[in-house]
Amino acid sequence: MLFNSLTFVVFFVVVLTLYWTLRSWEARKNLLLAASYLFYGTWNPPFALLLFATTALDFWLGARIAAAGTPGRRKAWLIASLTSNLSMLGFFKYGNFLLENTQALLALAGIAYQPPHLDLFLPIGISFYTFHSLSYTLDVYRGTTQPTRSLRDFTLAVSFFPQLVAGPIVRAVDFLPQAAQPPKPDAGRFIWGLLLMTLGLFEKTVLADTMLSSAAESVFSYHGPLASLDAWTGVLAFSGQIFFDFAGYSTCAIGAALTLGFHLRDNFRFPYAAVGFSDFWRRWHISLSTFLRDYLYIPLGGNRAGAVKAALNLMIVMFIGGLWHGAAWTFVVWGIIHGLMLVVERVLRHFFQDAAWTNRLGVQLLLGLGTYAVVCLAWVFFRAPDFGSAMRIVLAMTGRLPIAGDAILPSREILQVMIVTAGLLGAHWLLRQTTMEAVVARTPRWAVTAIWSVMLFSIILTQGNGNAFIYFQF
Amino acid sequence: MHSSTSNSELDLPVAPERPLNSRRGTPRPARGGDLDFARVIPALPWKGIVAATALLTLAATVAWEIRARTHGYAPSLNDTPDLWAEQRNRVEPNSIVLVGTSRMLFNADLDVLEEALGQRPVQLALAGSSPFPVLADLAQDPSFHGTIILDIVPAMFLAPAGSPPMAVSQKALRRRDEWNYSQKWSHRMGMDLEEHIAFLKQEDLSLAQLLKQIPIPNRANAQIGPPLPPYFYTVDRDRRGRMVEQAAVIGSPLQQRVANGWLPLFTLPPPPSFIPAEQFGKMMGQAIEQRFKDTAQHIATLRARGVKVVFVRMPVQGPLVQKEEAIVPLAFGWGRLVQENGVPAIDTNTLPDLNTFTLPEWSHLSAPDSVEFTKRLVPHLQRALSAADTSATATLAAPRPASG
Repeated sequence: MLFNSLTFVVFFVVVLTLYWTLRSWEARKNLLLAASYLFYGTWNPPFALLLFATTALDFWLGARIAAAGTPGRRKAWLIASLTSNLSMLGFFKYGNFLLENTQALLALAGIAYQPPHLDLFLPIGISFYTFHSLSYTLDVYRGTTQPTRSLRDFTLAVSFFPQLVAGPIVRAVDFLPQAAQPPKPDAGRFIWGLLLMTLGLFEKTVLADTMLSSAAESVFSYHGPLASLDAWTGVLAFSGQIFFDFAGYSTCAIGAALTLGFHLRDNFRFPYAAVGFSDFWRRWHISLSTFLRDYLYIPLGGNRAGAVKAALNLMIVMFIGGLWHGAAWTFVVWGIIHGLMLVVERVLRHFFQDAAWTNRLGVQLLLGLGTYAVVCLAWVFFRAPDFGSAMRIVLAMTGRLPIAGDAILPSREILQVMIVTAGLLGAHWLLRQTTMEAVVARTPRWAVTAIWSVMLFSIILTQGNGNAFIYFQF
Repeated sequence: MHSSTSNSELDLPVAPERPLNSRRGTPRPARGGDLDFARVIPALPWKGIVAATALLTLAATVAWEIRARTHGYAPSLNDTPDLWAEQRNRVEPNSIVLVGTSRMLFNADLDVLEEALGQRPVQLALAGSSPFPVLADLAQDPSFHGTIILDIVPAMFLAPAGSPPMAVSQKALRRRDEWNYSQKWSHRMGMDLEEHIAFLKQEDLSLAQLLKQIPIPNRANAQIGPPLPPYFYTVDRDRRGRMVEQAAVIGSPLQQRVANGWLPLFTLPPPPSFIPAEQFGKMMGQAIEQRFKDTAQHIATLRARGVKVVFVRMPVQGPLVQKEEAIVPLAFGWGRLVQENGVPAIDTNTLPDLNTFTLPEWSHLSAPDSVEFTKRLVPHLQRALSAADTSATATLAAPRPASG
């Protein structure tokens, strides 16, 4: 069920009404659990069974880890959890990718191998709910949380519908304490949640789908050489589209959870105002970057084992981060670009850490624009269907095409993309040291009313074309 | 909490939640005490704000609806892939299925056909489409043994893979293949709204379409496709298409806009700059030959299963005749399809009882004329279906000689 669908509107109204009508906290949690499985099952009911199987297995393994008497046994149960989760993810998401690459490797060795094509449907949101569930056994193993005795609460933590299919990646350790006692009704929290949902839908349906998606789609699906202006416009359009699409989903999720009395952490903090890549990853898809930091980078040794090992660890993390997004080498290249930039930044910081001039506004702005430019370059590989297309776009952006490129975008679309991009960058820069809550609290009530009304009316004007969110495919 | 894991700075740490300052009042944590994390709720008079927002939005929506109605829009369904998918799901083993372009959609009256043929046909024609993917889909459906009445506009039917006419059909088919429960329920609720709200017109009044109406000139060398026609037909839940009244009034702004819109749409775009013209021509030739072969294969598969197939060429008039001829000459397109497939074929442009109607915008019949047209088409269809019944290969109307 998409947030931007009529079905969701009706579903949400019914769930909210019943939820706040029921008196028993246990009954309300049962309602949320049933609603979450209904939310997920409307895509493909059998996959709800897969979701439950993953959840139940990790619930059981979490208990085994906690009960294990020796470190060896604890580790063995954790390995069982990692193996089951990652095998399932690997099978559904990377099965064909692995077979195709095995075929290519064997061909290099002169061995002809024709792998079967696995006719697999990718369960929607599998990358997200696998991480939701896995965080529990990892945290029990690390001793940062106690295993819960309630399968229902844990199942709800993994499947809670606002964040189920596209994040934020909510760790059980953050959710389970909230399931322990009922939230008190709070009109301010409820209405603020609705406002966040409106903002998220506005970002998705108006900014991402209506203003930007067409230019991005035209450029990335074009098979010929592009004029530099068109290539840049398409890439800027995609950089805005993916932000508004994904941040829009996260904002909706946070808002929907708030209306139910649950608190989810921020997943974005004005990322296009980042100065440097470490700053970028403090602001972009925060729930993934912290997941990778806590469960991969630190166990690998982090930056404690010297500069070279730290650089290698960064590259491993970003390689896996790239692959997490999809079974294609283009995603890996996207991850490697980010990894390389993180390494380069560490080196530069080593030399310039104490230089006062780096803190001047002009320098910060330049560094921020430079960061944004490289982020955009990396998006080319993220979005392009193959390396050939990606290289064509990069060559066009750098004006290095051997022939004149084609102008394929209407002036109106170029203007739309430029206006939205300028607004996006400007807003991120203005807000980079604050939060939306702080800004709204300072805004006159009439202005909040006017902005909220404009967003709602604009959403109505889009007439709900029901495009799926980009991150559903991951 | 997580940022306290400070062994290592991956350079991916999360900043802690910041204390917030507020001129109008300090935002308050919503659920402190029992949690180590709680979102901050801005301290504002929320109940008043939400009431005012609801009123303002309602007022704007009502004003927009009034404006749409005063500009001649009335509530009607959007012809979406969902509506098509719903019809496709209604196809039963012995259904009569109408496949084709907007000409089949506008010109075939379902009530008349139901009365004459004994069952209500399922309307699967799609505006702006090549019907080839739909034909292929029916050929690949082993449960289907019924009847296909296929409207062929050669320039559309032979459109190459990746072209907009192919994309229209493929989008509809994909919708049907991937249609989930949520989409089905949204579609049903959406229809209820569209039947009561006039501004729900995706062709003209969606935000994306409104933005397209801003007159900004394109670059001189820009390769921009011509605009699609505006809203000028209605569909009902059976996808019976009808031209709106204003579009049928010769000389009206809507009629002029639609008619003149066809000319660039029926003009071949220049070949791509990145493929040598000769090579491109060869590729297109091969693609068209392949389409003829694939069509023959699908028709043979259908007929082997007992499916009756009839080809129909719907009326076309004015400058569109020459435009279509310039893209795919009639004898080459229609002629070959009829000849190679050996199915009964009706060219309404050559039949005196069917070629006397005036097409307001050269491509489609007005709503009242479509009823009369269908009545006159019925005897031809019945003869064709009898011929198809006996696997006859004779055509009811010979293709016109090639003119180019």
